[in-house]
Amino acid sequence: MKKALILLGCPESPSQTPLALYTAHKLTKIGFEVTVASTPSASKLLEVSDSEEFYVNKKIDLELCLEDLEEKEYDLLVGFVHKDAAVSYFVTFYHILNTKSIAIVFEKDSDLLEKFLNDLKENTDATLISARAYHNPTPIRVKIDKAFKVLED
Amino acid sequence: MSFCLELHLQQSEDYEILISKAGFKEAKKVIENHSPRILYVKPGAKVLGARIIGIPPIPIGIDETQSRITLPYTKPCHGTAVVDLPVEKEEIDKVKAIAVNPMKK
Repeated sequence: MKKALILLGCPESPSQTPLALYTAHKLTKIGFEVTVASTPSASKLLEVSDSEEFYVNKKIDLELCLEDLEEKEYDLLVGFVHKDAAVSYFVTFYHILNTKSIAIVFEKDSDLLEKFLNDLKENTDATLISARAYHNPTPIRVKIDKAFKVLED
Repeated sequence: MSFCLELHLQQSEDYEILISKAGFKEAKKVIENHSPRILYVKPGAKVLGARIIGIPPIPIGIDETQSRITLPYTKPCHGTAVVDLPVEKEEIDKVKAIAVNPMKK
């Protein structure tokens, strides 16, 4: 079974947790074994939102995951990027894993969104999914559906 | 015993934070302006026992006279800080060994 790693950023953005569960479920349906790497607070949000572990049953602490990460350990990296630090983390995971990667980039400020996208374009060959979004996950969910259709085919 | 950056920052007071809660590019400029010598490493390179997080090339400041290292330190919710701290000479040698583009200022 192919393995996917979902990388979560700071859970400050309200869209991140529902989008993470949505993305994990989509990847599972496609046939990936999904692991979510996150901070302890982002992990708590997942635990409460998905208490029966219906959507996510493999979670790992972000720092522990990074410490032991090896090239090609996962077949797919999906990172949620909505802060400058999340760009740095995604680029770092991308360079260590050297595998197919998708960055889901969302921000309410259009200038910041553009900056994040430019940094990712300059430093990775990842597929970029982006939208102006913060409270409302729908704009980014629509784009996730479109991009993941390619993985299903 | 090998150096552990996380433990050192928790248990010592001999380090200096040059900037905190910054963007990575801002932090990079601080390091490049602060240290007499800059070595660049790849994202994920291990320096002082910790994976270095950032956008390549990542600068590590070296002051061999004072035996100090200056490096970026990123956390998901707090952005990037720049930490300057004293190290053993062997830790500087380890950075030299993994540097991808050694450059002298």
